[in-house]
Amino acid sequence: MGSSIRKAIELILSADPELLNILSTTAKVCLTSSILALVLGVPIGILLGAERFPGRKVLLVLNRTLIGMPPVVCGLLFYMLFSGVGPFRHLHWLFTVKLMILAQVVLITPIIVGVMETFVADTAPALRETTRGLGFGRLKEYRLLMNECLYSIFSAYLLSFARAIAEVGAVAMVGGAIAWKTNVMTTAIMMYTNRGSFTLGIALGLILLTLSLLVNIVLSVMQGRLSR
Amino acid sequence: MKTTAFTKTYNKRVVLNLPELELPKGQITAVIGPNGSGKSTFAKILAGIERADDRRPVLSGVSVGYLPQKSFPFRMSTEKNILQNGNDPACASALMKALGIEALAGQSAKKLSGGETARMALCRILMRRYALLILDEPTAAMDMESTLAAEECIRRYCDETGCGVLLITHSISQAKRLADQIIVLHEGKLIEQGDTERVLASPREEQTRRFLEFFGV
Ligand SMILES: Nc1ncnc2c1ncn2[C@@H]1O[C@H](COP(=O)(O)OP(=O)(O)OP(=O)(O)O)[C@@H](O)[C@H]1O
Ligand SMILES: [Mg+2]
Repeated sequence: MGSSIRKAIELILSADPELLNILSTTAKVCLTSSILALVLGVPIGILLGAERFPGRKVLLVLNRTLIGMPPVVCGLLFYMLFSGVGPFRHLHWLFTVKLMILAQVVLITPIIVGVMETFVADTAPALRETTRGLGFGRLKEYRLLMNECLYSIFSAYLLSFARAIAEVGAVAMVGGAIAWKTNVMTTAIMMYTNRGSFTLGIALGLILLTLSLLVNIVLSVMQGRLSR
Repeated sequence: MKTTAFTKTYNKRVVLNLPELELPKGQITAVIGPNGSGKSTFAKILAGIERADDRRPVLSGVSVGYLPQKSFPFRMSTEKNILQNGNDPACASALMKALGIEALAGQSAKKLSGGETARMALCRILMRRYALLILDEPTAAMDMESTLAAEECIRRYCDETGCGVLLITHSISQAKRLADQIIVLHEGKLIEQGDTERVLASPREEQTRRFLEFFGV
């Protein structure tokens, strides 16, 4: 055990080309999907939290269901849509980074929507009473609401990024864990462990844990900063 | 300014049923009444934040400013909060000075104490001229010194702008100091309206008399 960890650290320090490739694929997939999810999820979440319209409750239940969706189920869905019998087979997206990103967007956007909705539903009524009392228009009301949301947006983003980087079901299904092409950290850990080689798996595991630690440190620092 | 008669029902309970009311310009009208008598609901309906049962505006064609019972500080400094309602730094610092929060200008408004938040919120609403200004217990969280300073600011605002002020308060002494006219609400109904001195000295209604007795009037 101790010697495998030492070997894993050596592997990280030696900048092993396959390891680097896995890291860059992971970064490409997770950063793109989380940013797309942010762009989609923040406005939807704010609208769901701030406005009252028919069908809102239904959308909230739907969103909560999507938050709980197992990644493999999401992967299965996209596999079927884009495989040889699916309606989108002509795009040839199966086993590409593109489809991995798409599957992850569907997987993590609901998290951002959920975080934003909860925060805004809590904040908007009191804020609105004040802004309307002052005679501000809708535009200014939303600008001030966004300003209140800054920390939530930030933590929603990190949460969704963490989910993207940690999930394996969806990317494995639609990406196929093809070495040098669609292999990301989590799928690589599975692949190498199945082959009986633990070193790369441990190295990747260490990197993942370090990343998670960093994310949480940044979160707790920003919480103090942005809630002021 | 005249408000139309209206009712307001929450969960099948009529919480407010008011006749037409005259709110004179350039005067301060105090609204008094026990907890739950409908004062804040009245204020919200006048401000257009809540709607009366018939969904028609109770007061139309006038700009209304409304300071809620619980103020919301925006996530920015005290001074920036105040400047949200009109970019006039000189006016803002004069108001902050009058209310004794000029030293807190740069502090994050979220970190203000209860009374400081109330003073910030009062400065913020006084930045602009409204035809009718509704203040829902603006001094409830303030100490005596700040309360008197706030009253002076409200009086001056009313005199200088000539707008009408509706002041909701639980303090009879405050009503006595500030108000030209008093409205008494009880269980959602108007039970008395008249000049401050007259209402406090010789209330026409039994319920007003009983309500005032608690204050030793
Ligand atoms: N959104 C609401 N839903 C249901 N009932 C409400 C709502 N808002 C107010 N009420 C009820 O209407 C009544 C009047 O409330 P309101 O806040 O106007 O009282 P108030 O005179 O301002 O009291 P206080 O002196 O405590 O501020 C209360 O009985 C309250 O419970
Ligand atoms: Mg009230």
